[in-house]
Amino acid sequence: MLGRAVFCVTVAAAASPARAQPAPPEPAPAVDDSALLDASHEQIEIHDQAPLPAAGAAQLDREEIQRLPGTGGDVVRTLTAMPGVLNQQVPQGYSGVVIRGASPQDSKVLVDDFEIPLLFHPLGIRAVVPVEAIQSLTFIPGGFDVAYGRASSGIVQLTTRAGSDQRSEQAELSVIDGGVIAQGALGPDTHYMVAVRRSVLDLVLPSVIPSSVDLSLTTVPQYWDQQLRIDHELGPHWHLAVSTIGTDDVLELFTTKDTDAGAKRFFSQTRFLRATAAASYHDGPWQAQLALSAIASELRFDVGLFQKLDVITPAVTPRATVSRTVAAWAGLKNLVWSAGAEAQVSYADIDLATPLEKREGEPLPPYSPNDTSTRFTGHVWYPDFAAWSSIAADLDPRIRTTLGVRVDGFARGGELALEPRGEIQVKLTDQLSSRLTAGGYRRPPEFQSELLQASLQSERADQLTFGLEYTPIGGVRLQGTVYYTDRSALITHNADDTLGNRGRGSSKGAELLTMIYGGPWFAWLGYSYSRSERMDTPDGATRLFDYDQTHSLNLALSWKLGKWTLGGRFELYSGLPFTPAVGSQFDSDRNLFLPLYGAINSERAPIHHQLDLRVDYAWRWGGTDLLAFIDVQNVYLDRSVVTYFYTYDYSQRTAFESIPLIPSLGLRATL
Amino acid sequence: MKWIWIFALAACGNEVDAQWQLDHDRVIAVRSTPPRIASGETAALTGLVGQKGGPPVELDATTAEVVSPSALAGALTRQGTQWTVTAPPGDQLAAARAELGLAGDAPVPLQLQLTYTDHAFVAFKTVYLGVHADNPVIAPITINGGDGLATADLVVPAETNVPLAIDVPEIDNVNWLSSCGTMHDFDIARAYLRVEPDDPHAGDFALVVRDTQGGVFWHVWTIHTP
Repeated sequence: MLGRAVFCVTVAAAASPARAQPAPPEPAPAVDDSALLDASHEQIEIHDQAPLPAAGAAQLDREEIQRLPGTGGDVVRTLTAMPGVLNQQVPQGYSGVVIRGASPQDSKVLVDDFEIPLLFHPLGIRAVVPVEAIQSLTFIPGGFDVAYGRASSGIVQLTTRAGSDQRSEQAELSVIDGGVIAQGALGPDTHYMVAVRRSVLDLVLPSVIPSSVDLSLTTVPQYWDQQLRIDHELGPHWHLAVSTIGTDDVLELFTTKDTDAGAKRFFSQTRFLRATAAASYHDGPWQAQLALSAIASELRFDVGLFQKLDVITPAVTPRATVSRTVAAWAGLKNLVWSAGAEAQVSYADIDLATPLEKREGEPLPPYSPNDTSTRFTGHVWYPDFAAWSSIAADLDPRIRTTLGVRVDGFARGGELALEPRGEIQVKLTDQLSSRLTAGGYRRPPEFQSELLQASLQSERADQLTFGLEYTPIGGVRLQGTVYYTDRSALITHNADDTLGNRGRGSSKGAELLTMIYGGPWFAWLGYSYSRSERMDTPDGATRLFDYDQTHSLNLALSWKLGKWTLGGRFELYSGLPFTPAVGSQFDSDRNLFLPLYGAINSERAPIHHQLDLRVDYAWRWGGTDLLAFIDVQNVYLDRSVVTYFYTYDYSQRTAFESIPLIPSLGLRATL
Repeated sequence: MKWIWIFALAACGNEVDAQWQLDHDRVIAVRSTPPRIASGETAALTGLVGQKGGPPVELDATTAEVVSPSALAGALTRQGTQWTVTAPPGDQLAAARAELGLAGDAPVPLQLQLTYTDHAFVAFKTVYLGVHADNPVIAPITINGGDGLATADLVVPAETNVPLAIDVPEIDNVNWLSSCGTMHDFDIARAYLRVEPDDPHAGDFALVVRDTQGGVFWHVWTIHTP
């Protein structure tokens, strides 16, 4: 079960050696995952450990995610167990995933190979994709191959669940949300999966907020999520898949009982819908995929009487990939040549009146309800184009190398970026292998207000990763990884509040991941050490990144026996850096205290540790499979400081403490 | 956004002074009388300073200096303990407008930095030169259904929502401040005060209003429950 994957092997002719390839296409072949078969046009399923796409990467299937204690069976919380991912009780950054101390926007979240703008709901307690609707989660903290781009740190890849031959309908209800999922076959060649989920928290929340709080939840935070996937086999060579993923979050509140007080109104809506159609082809040594994906997203918020943001972003992404395998050529063996191209044509319709945007490292400015110093009404086109190619081959039975290059064209900035990437895998023993990866990566200037300034160039990262992987016996995998990332052209504010590519930085660290899956046991040990520093101007002081987390340890154990599954997870992680306020000056005209700050990110919140427990009980009632679960985070109520909030005049500060207890109760029924 | 939301839920009950708390050391407001002056006119500067353990007091600044434009530094003078600003002649204002890139008839913002209580507090205040405008006058001020300006000593019932109301444009900056009870909606025109059993039952109460012309109004009362 560990990192299990299904390999589809199609044999064209007895004389042609066929190479096992993961389905869907875009394989990352390992040294030992080939097979010689002499059947003809026969599809065989091989259950084995999936070859990981990069050193330090990890892959979990749906069942493993659901067994990991302390996650509530949720993708975002599951990611926090990955070494290299920032671990906090509440997801950080706009997307919810921060990798190797970088900025959140440096990493991408992909669903079925295409980006989604955010992974979690604003309350931070749920991912936008329920675990029941995904097949697997692949986490690549760095060193990803040329098929992925537009990210300078890491990749999180979710693969939606294809329907199986056996039809089932499932409903799940917890204190946070409820959803239904149906999947099955529509014939011998067509499968479907459809899932809908809605929050129920909005039904609960009003009753738990004390009446003494000056708060009116006129639209209680609520969300809808939906996923749809239809797979159709067109014949022995073609596979079609159509999928959609969408979410809609809305919240309106007044920080007063008076709902006519527009000055105290806060409204937020985040929604997107992505639809993808993909045709995959495989025939002997050839594989190809043609895909067309489109997304429409909207981010809107209103604060008080004057501040607003409404960004509507449709984008279309066609992509084509092809790969060919060759058993031997010019003394090389098991060659795989891959190439691809894509265009992401995006348009943003923007209407904003906001204060100057806070960039990485900049302390929170004082809240001024009348401040609309950044104003823009109009639209922006920002088409991006990319092409890539790579070749992988065995130089020796124990040495495999991959060389590739990716070219990104970021049309808005008129920039052409060349990103060479390469990897050497060496099989040191039958159980021990190493991987050395080096490459160039770019993150286009398309995050928030970066869109307003056409002169910006992409941020650059040069990554160097070395990893060891040890698999002493089936079901046991140990990974150790060290990395160094040099970052340049980082986008920062200039003295005149415009943006420029003047920052530099670096991230370095080490990660350890051990997974054991055997019999009733599932164990997980993840640890990461990280240090990420940057300079915002060429002659500026070196400081920590906002999300630099020195230590993060996760130890999880799950035991399944009969109807019961018991699990626990212990977490210990460093607090985040913050910038202390050392005083303030009063602006009487605006009735604002202007903070005087100490050195940026010069203090750090203390270490947090917690124990999470999970109990599942499964039984059958009539023709229905039932599963009840309780997942409790922080059972011994550790209340460490997460960060500090300063009072209006910065003369006092109050600690924002970790959430003492996060229970998650649920019931799942499967027909 | 999530932190804002969570903090909004978690912040109640914190052991720090809320912005409406009058029992706190700080500058509450700086008033220029008048806030906008034509050439030759003079404005006087006064601060309202809060004190922990005592009533807010009107104070003259310990020091004052012109931050911008530096060419008009001579407009600021001290007469006794009182700092005053005198608008210079039109040609100097025209030169200042050119320096600041302002339109020919625009008021010239004279930004001042002032210190209070022996330099313990620093405040900035802008006086506009070239046109005349007066500070706002807020009347009536309705407190618990009555005319708040009719008394200097407010008596309010305990454990009751005491409504407070003024009639000002929504864009004006309003602050109701108290060291007695708990303020609700302290920063909008219609607010209420409630004195809970654990709250102080006596203290001071103030209203500060800033308009969009730089004008400032304040009024201070003593307050207690019966």
